[in-house]
Amino acid sequence: MLGLGLASGAYLALRQPKKQQADLRLWTFAKPHGEAYMEALPAFQRKHPEVSVDIQIVAWEAVTSRLQAAFWSGLDVPDLVEVEISEAGSFFRGRLESIGFLDLTERIHQTGLWERVVRARFAPYTTRGRIFGVPHDVHPVMLAYRRDLIEKLRIDVDKIQTWDDFVEVGRRVTEPGKRFMMELPTAEASRLEAMLFQRDGGYFDPQGRCIIDNETAVQTMMAYVPMVAGRYRIGSDLGGGQIFTRALEDGYFLFMIAPDWRTKLIEQDVPKVGGRMALMPVPAVQPGGRRTTTWGGTMIGITRKSPNPDLAWELIMHLYFNKEDLAKRFRDTNILPPARDLWDHPAYDEPRPFWSTQPLGRLYANLAPDVPFQYTSPFISLAKAKMSEALIACVQYYNRYGDRGFEGFVRRQLKVSAEEVRRVMRRNPYVTE
Amino acid sequence: MSRSEARRKRWRGEKIAPYLFVAPFIVLFLVFGAYPLVKSVILSFYITNGPSDPVFVGAENYRFLLTDPNFWKAVRNTAVYAFWSLALQIPLGLGLAILLNSSWVRGRNFLRLAFFSPNLVGQVFVGVLFSVLFVPQYGLVNKALHATIGTPLDTRWLAEPHLVMPALVMTSLWMYVGFQMVYFLAGLQSVDKELYEAARIDGANNWQQFLNVTLPSIRHVLVFVVLVSTIGSFQLFELPWVMLGRGPGPDSAGLTIIMYLYLNGYVAGDLGYASAVGWTLALGLLVISLIQLRMSGVWGGRRAG
Amino acid sequence: MILQALRLVGWLLLVLIAIVTFVPMIWLLAASLKAPEDLFSYTFFSPNPSMKNFYDLFTQVEFLRYVMNSVFVACTAVVLQLFFSSLAGYALAKYEFKGKYVLTLFMLSTMLIPGQVTLAPAYELIYRFGWVDTYWALLVPSAVNVFGIFLFRQAIMSVPTELIHSARVDGCSEFQIYWQIVMPTVRPMVGAFVLIAFMGQWNSFLWPQIILHSSERFTLPIALTQMVGIYQQQYGMLMAGTLLSVLPVMVLFLFLQREFVAGLTSGAVKG
Repeated sequence: MLGLGLASGAYLALRQPKKQQADLRLWTFAKPHGEAYMEALPAFQRKHPEVSVDIQIVAWEAVTSRLQAAFWSGLDVPDLVEVEISEAGSFFRGRLESIGFLDLTERIHQTGLWERVVRARFAPYTTRGRIFGVPHDVHPVMLAYRRDLIEKLRIDVDKIQTWDDFVEVGRRVTEPGKRFMMELPTAEASRLEAMLFQRDGGYFDPQGRCIIDNETAVQTMMAYVPMVAGRYRIGSDLGGGQIFTRALEDGYFLFMIAPDWRTKLIEQDVPKVGGRMALMPVPAVQPGGRRTTTWGGTMIGITRKSPNPDLAWELIMHLYFNKEDLAKRFRDTNILPPARDLWDHPAYDEPRPFWSTQPLGRLYANLAPDVPFQYTSPFISLAKAKMSEALIACVQYYNRYGDRGFEGFVRRQLKVSAEEVRRVMRRNPYVTE
Repeated sequence: MSRSEARRKRWRGEKIAPYLFVAPFIVLFLVFGAYPLVKSVILSFYITNGPSDPVFVGAENYRFLLTDPNFWKAVRNTAVYAFWSLALQIPLGLGLAILLNSSWVRGRNFLRLAFFSPNLVGQVFVGVLFSVLFVPQYGLVNKALHATIGTPLDTRWLAEPHLVMPALVMTSLWMYVGFQMVYFLAGLQSVDKELYEAARIDGANNWQQFLNVTLPSIRHVLVFVVLVSTIGSFQLFELPWVMLGRGPGPDSAGLTIIMYLYLNGYVAGDLGYASAVGWTLALGLLVISLIQLRMSGVWGGRRAG
Repeated sequence: MILQALRLVGWLLLVLIAIVTFVPMIWLLAASLKAPEDLFSYTFFSPNPSMKNFYDLFTQVEFLRYVMNSVFVACTAVVLQLFFSSLAGYALAKYEFKGKYVLTLFMLSTMLIPGQVTLAPAYELIYRFGWVDTYWALLVPSAVNVFGIFLFRQAIMSVPTELIHSARVDGCSEFQIYWQIVMPTVRPMVGAFVLIAFMGQWNSFLWPQIILHSSERFTLPIALTQMVGIYQQQYGMLMAGTLLSVLPVMVLFLFLQREFVAGLTSGAVKG
């Protein structure tokens, strides 16, 4: 035992990782982002030959709980960090001056980003009127579907204009346990959330008040639950990763909610369905209404401790707003960049064989300006958890009693959830208006 | 050095040595045991932002805790888990031990090893493994259950709130039944064989022998195992955390008390509140242990049998 | 006749349960040896086994580093715990000194308080020491193990006191007595304790999860749970990682199982 301890100790001592000497260090939790940035790096270094940059793909925890703890403990943190949209709010719990990220509000206005970027995308990274992150994306949503199966079932997607149309077709083709119209989870609120945003609802209002019990939320819940519960449900889910791959191959789902980023995951994870997939706009709530919504997102922030904030800002501009690079990156990631002026590149018009030769970029870009706002709060994770709980309770109710008394139940349930969020919010001594 | 001087030195060595030998414990305990213990009492009256910015709030943390539905959900989940774990593991562990203790069993050592082996695997690794075994449609558990008792193949063990706990209890049964068995087996082996002889002469059948000889003889082992398992169950964290994708699972059906502590203390960043949760758990465990000891008659009450 | 039939049923039951116990581990082995895309295509072993998962594990991820980290932390911790715990256990078993009774009671009572109570202030303390993200934070607070002290106290009590006395007469120093007389006689307990302490460290999750930040310092449980998030498309690789993480404890157990079972249960049975 002693011997093993010494031997491994010696191994570790010998293989000490080279001390991180890079001038700029960037952490991202998203593998495709990291890989793309490494490709974009040489161009930046041609401009700044003396600057060394180190890009690391780190696990989710590293940018959530670990980074937070590192901020508190004054540990070594990277200069730039990408944070997921629903985690960003958690960094805003303390006093404004103890937030670990640099306030970028002035820079964003001075450099014209405020005008260039789809404005809805700043909201999730803003607290008490200050912006702490630059949006990486717009993430408009479409519906992806198995074109081959849809054709076999003689479904005309052009005739699906509203969610009502969609549900009607769905009930016709769904065979529970074998085939569902759509991939929709019953225990997790990410798709419910997308539908909530589509209706201009959300978790918080611009002042940071919790609004998960307002009329929009009630209506969304009442539309969503019958899609996944009760006798006439049209949606279900199995899980992510390799399970999703198998399910899509097997035709277990016909449609799924697909933001731009997810189309790339589908291409990579389910290559077997290439050429047999296609995209359509999200059905509207009312005829003529918004045909998209949003799901997911990332910001990049500069840490307050970074010794080179100006250089870090330059790297952001290079990685996020360089037209040629981004066009190339769009081909690699399918992610539409956040600034409108970048979308006129021919890359966005290229037909995609995987998607039955549809011009994927143009389809998303056409919908992007219409992406809804979402506001955040330090309590965003809590609100999301409560929304999931409410969803589960409503699904259980609906499975048992159907429409009878459902509306009243939804109202009561959302009220209870919202009150719990407010109760916790009242405890925070740091955020005062 | 004269002889007497050497002897005195020896004598002094004998006096001083024990203090030296326990010194590392005392020092480390004072720093990493006693100080944090005292400090956590103090901290539990503050709201903090990580280790910094403490704001004194009096008993607010405890008040909030006791009225927080999430905390009670965690308590309920943990208690349900503890109950079912004990209710399944103790009889099964005892049964296995009794079977294994019979003289006619062949390959006893191998079987004992087999039953005990899952105990060696850490909860994290078990969690990673079982999160894949419980997958709907393609996972092993569903395939096996579908083939034997006909449950639906797409049962979503880890995504349906009411199935999360059964999945956890099943997993813990797999992990820990061997642990209980090893203790019971050791207890059974120390039972005086003559007691059985005497019982047989008195005409007791197997069941009566079990009730009148076996159970009383291993009573203290039973109490020990129940106590250790209860305390262990109430500290459940890693298994659900990993199995449910590093979170409390759907509808927080896998939220345990320690997970609640972790989420509030290290994800949300309120170390003060986390301390309050810790103390509440400690007091709760103390009460439960005392009740169990009391009921078993080992402590304070009449001695049974 | 009936008795024999019953015994056969009982024995078959035992064997069946043993098989059920082994199934998850066998599946784990099978999953590791399947080609990544075959994971859900075959229930157990695939007809065309592949080492791709293991290859990926060591090339895509710094798995060797995590193994080494875990080995280092676990071994060092075991050595420290073994030394300090047996030393204190010896003092409690064989010496009369002031405060011994109080100390024993005190130790017993600390075993009743769950470690999570002090998690928050312990973290704060580690932060003040500047030990966040270092192995000091994993090794030092755990260097003395109260449970271990009691195990050794129990075992050393049965060492004949005359043996110690005669060694003292022969001119052994107190430490020599501990090292050359006492420890060799409680060898089985050393074996049991090594396994218990090793398992404890090897499988430890919550504390390292809070303490360790840099991926180059991650121990296996931390590394593996993080990989679960990143490599959703490579369950096979994760299973290979799990398999390799589980093996060392299994091997150690095979070596030490006799001592282990005896040591583990001694406290409870003597009660």
